[in-house]
Amino acid sequence: MLKSLGRGTRLLLHGCLPAALILSTGAMGPGGTRGRSTTTPESAGSARSLVRAYEASVSHNKRIPAFARKYNLACSACHTVWPELSAFGQSFKDNGYQLGNDRDSPIWQSNTYWPIAMRTTPQWHLESTTHQITDASPGGRTVTQAGFDLSGVDFLLLGTLYKNITFGLVPTLDADGTTGLEAAFVRFDNLGHSPWANVKVGKFELDNLLSEKRFTWLSANGGFLYAYHYLPVGSTNNFGFGDNQIGVELSGHSINSYTRYSVSLLTTDDGEPGVPGGKSMDAMFTLSRAFAMGSGLGPQRFGVFGYLGHRPTAFETSGGNPIPGTGSANKSFVRFGATAQLWLGNLELIPLVSHASDDVALGGGTQKPAWNTALLETHYIATPQLMIQGRYELLRMSKQGDPGIPKTTGNADAIALGVRVYPFLFSRDGLAIHGEFAMTRTIGTVPLSGDGSGVDPVTQTTAVWSRSLLLAFDFAF
Amino acid sequence: MKRSRTLWWSVAVISALPLGNAALSAPVLPPAAGTISGKVTYTGTPPKMKPVDMAKEPNCVSQHPTPVMTENVATGPGNTLRWVVVYIAAADTAAPPATEAVRYDQKGCQYLPHVAVMRVNQPLDIYNNDPHSHNIHPLARVNPEWNKSQPKGAPPIHATWEQPEFIPVKCNIHPWMHGYFVVLRTPHYSVTGDDGSFSLAGLPPGTYTVTAWHEQFGTQRQEVTVGSGETKTVGFVFTARPY
Amino acid sequence: MRPHARLLALLSGLGLLLSGPGAARAQESHIGGVTGHGARGQQLYRRYCVGCHGKAGDGLGENAMWIDPKPRDFTAAVFKCRSTPTGALPTDEDLFNSVTRGFVTTNMPPWRPLTPQNRADVVAYIKTFSARWKTARPATPITIPPEPAVNIASILHGRELFQRLECWKCHGPTGHGDGPSAHDLTDSKENPIRPYNFETGSRFMCGTTNQDLYRIFMTGLDGSPMPSFADQVRPAEAWDLVHFLRTLQTLDTPEAALWRQWLATHAGELKPIGPEGGQQ
Repeated sequence: MLKSLGRGTRLLLHGCLPAALILSTGAMGPGGTRGRSTTTPESAGSARSLVRAYEASVSHNKRIPAFARKYNLACSACHTVWPELSAFGQSFKDNGYQLGNDRDSPIWQSNTYWPIAMRTTPQWHLESTTHQITDASPGGRTVTQAGFDLSGVDFLLLGTLYKNITFGLVPTLDADGTTGLEAAFVRFDNLGHSPWANVKVGKFELDNLLSEKRFTWLSANGGFLYAYHYLPVGSTNNFGFGDNQIGVELSGHSINSYTRYSVSLLTTDDGEPGVPGGKSMDAMFTLSRAFAMGSGLGPQRFGVFGYLGHRPTAFETSGGNPIPGTGSANKSFVRFGATAQLWLGNLELIPLVSHASDDVALGGGTQKPAWNTALLETHYIATPQLMIQGRYELLRMSKQGDPGIPKTTGNADAIALGVRVYPFLFSRDGLAIHGEFAMTRTIGTVPLSGDGSGVDPVTQTTAVWSRSLLLAFDFAF
Repeated sequence: MKRSRTLWWSVAVISALPLGNAALSAPVLPPAAGTISGKVTYTGTPPKMKPVDMAKEPNCVSQHPTPVMTENVATGPGNTLRWVVVYIAAADTAAPPATEAVRYDQKGCQYLPHVAVMRVNQPLDIYNNDPHSHNIHPLARVNPEWNKSQPKGAPPIHATWEQPEFIPVKCNIHPWMHGYFVVLRTPHYSVTGDDGSFSLAGLPPGTYTVTAWHEQFGTQRQEVTVGSGETKTVGFVFTARPY
Repeated sequence: MRPHARLLALLSGLGLLLSGPGAARAQESHIGGVTGHGARGQQLYRRYCVGCHGKAGDGLGENAMWIDPKPRDFTAAVFKCRSTPTGALPTDEDLFNSVTRGFVTTNMPPWRPLTPQNRADVVAYIKTFSARWKTARPATPITIPPEPAVNIASILHGRELFQRLECWKCHGPTGHGDGPSAHDLTDSKENPIRPYNFETGSRFMCGTTNQDLYRIFMTGLDGSPMPSFADQVRPAEAWDLVHFLRTLQTLDTPEAALWRQWLATHAGELKPIGPEGGQQ
């Protein structure tokens, strides 16, 4: 009888999961901010994470056919392979989506031009996760899901309101009908006629050198980075580096964007509107420098980044319920790291290392949890219409929040391989035929993709393998 | 008669081959040159030529009490066609290079002559006779395209062309001015006047491809055989369209 | 003489056979210390340039029909921005600068974010679209004398030149691109084109400095109505014209400042530019 119930209902019956875990798995989505709701009841959170596992995750990436239409450039001008940006595209973005040839202001465009583009990805995928506890197999079994599926739709509205005033609006529509607002900002560019001062206000992606929003992975297990989303067992934090945040960013760049910096002040709470968190702020900085060395497809770039965040640990309550926005007793956490983008001819190498540590109060234990991640991503861009890619990422806990947990619990190794074929190269729209295989091994926890039953494995040292196989038709117009 | 002409012709042809002078020891007299001449006419209705509006340049308006007409299809009495360049297609390797300069005038905001023919590497002198600037802009595609200003009183501009080509010439300041530089390899060419007549003289006996070019009606070719001292008359008839 | 001519013809015919597409991509460019290679440039061209300039380099890319002014036709080997005299090919550095700067008020973006090596490779490939790069003699850039000091005498003499050379016929008496001949101008492909309007304050097509401005009228913008004045203006005088032209722009330049100061007290002395000015 239990089997005939819907998957979500089955989970409701198993609802005795640590609230913190639900909150964390509910908040972390694979790679994306697909309309996360502000308050997440326990069961809905786990149901949602399951639903998310069953859907393919789509990193809601910005790749804008509207710009191609506006400037009459093919996609390959700004993108190595869309959605990944080339040096030229990065400079265009840094300049506030302005090409700098006095043809940017909307007044130059035909008034039939409308700055909107859309992207979605119909697909077939297979997810398979070992050691999953189900009703019928409390000892754990391999859970497999496969079928045709849809991703959500991104609506990408970005452009200029006026010379040197840029706007962005990215409403999203999940495949299950949930709507969200991934980005909404206005940016004042080239203040004082200098590219070194630009101010952006609103909800936006952090200035990550390795952008999760514009990377080329789509599967449940491959479509996000552990470095950007992992939170340890028992954590009450909800931060994701790859999630869009709300705040203000001061950024600047040299005229060809070979030197870039940004400094942001963000409202605590991972991009949730309504000021639900406390009165504290998060801060972030990035700095990168590129060098024109070699004859590769782009310059060699090196960067560092850092994030200092706060989360409230106490709220005013009313009738026992926390009042949003009244958080206090803030505890901090940090993320920092270094990354690079290196070119050898058409081969692109992206290494990244980072260190993360949360405050004791956020770790659900008696120690400050800390962990390190390292990854190497490679793209071979054979032509603007063919890319072969691979990534290996590892995450190692250096200290658990709860000393009782084994040292290796939470460690992850993730590998992903993919190919993207673009049958045509055009300046009105694009299509990519995407094949991907991703495999993660996580010790003692659910995989970050949320695949499987969403329940931790039997022991804290069980190695859970989760595999995704994806064949997708990724198009934008 | 025919036989001796054939004999002379074959001697001329054989002497043109690179067999080396040792092959034939008999002395050879140059054969008498022939001429190809005729008229160029048209059938059908040509477009009407229109008066040129030179109001932008009052100096030029005052130079033409009656306005000049456009010249892209200039006709004469008896349905003759003017400004047709008739020439021998093949280069004449025996001819010495041309050293005499061809003169091209800008006067009264017109190009005189409308079609100037010259040989490859022949000097061309362009004069500005008007009391104001012109810019001389030959729209070459095979030869390099250049564009030079020539103010009032400036010295003539000298140019040469290395490749044969039909080059339209324009002045950007005075957009009604149209002319042609016709650059040929051959020294045997003739431009028809009002009476549509042309004459290609000094031709060694032989068979020639004669080409007639008109800027609007295109190109026609005929094979003509000329004997020693002979004058052959040929006609070219272009089909005119009213547009 | 004739046997040698035939032999030469045979050899050059063979040479043409050998210089097929493979050999064309062996084209190189040299800009500063960087050597660009046509083979690598072809890949970059297909990525960045083909949408407008077309696969055949003829300016007929898929977007060309929506663009005004039209993209450059590389097969004609006629370029606006050069340091060489009119009718001559640009130098590699001229092409490199054009690619780097882009052309303001057109759809040609500044490709500065591409590495210098990438830009040099693209320049090398552009040179494969026309045989003229192989057949023409290499051209020497014009000699530009050092710029003299900016003073009123120089600006006034430049103003006389502007009148005498009849720049105003197209550019207008105040440089607003509204001269009597401005409205009928067509480029060498018969597309309508407007003369530069100094009042907009936007960058020139071919750079931003006084030297760039000098080059514009001393080499002409080939393929456009703008002729070369090199035969008519002595190099020293050309600087005077540069200084005057700067006063027509709405930018903050030393020339403009000096001119405004002088005009405050001497404006009445000036004869107007234009048809009336000719009758001096």
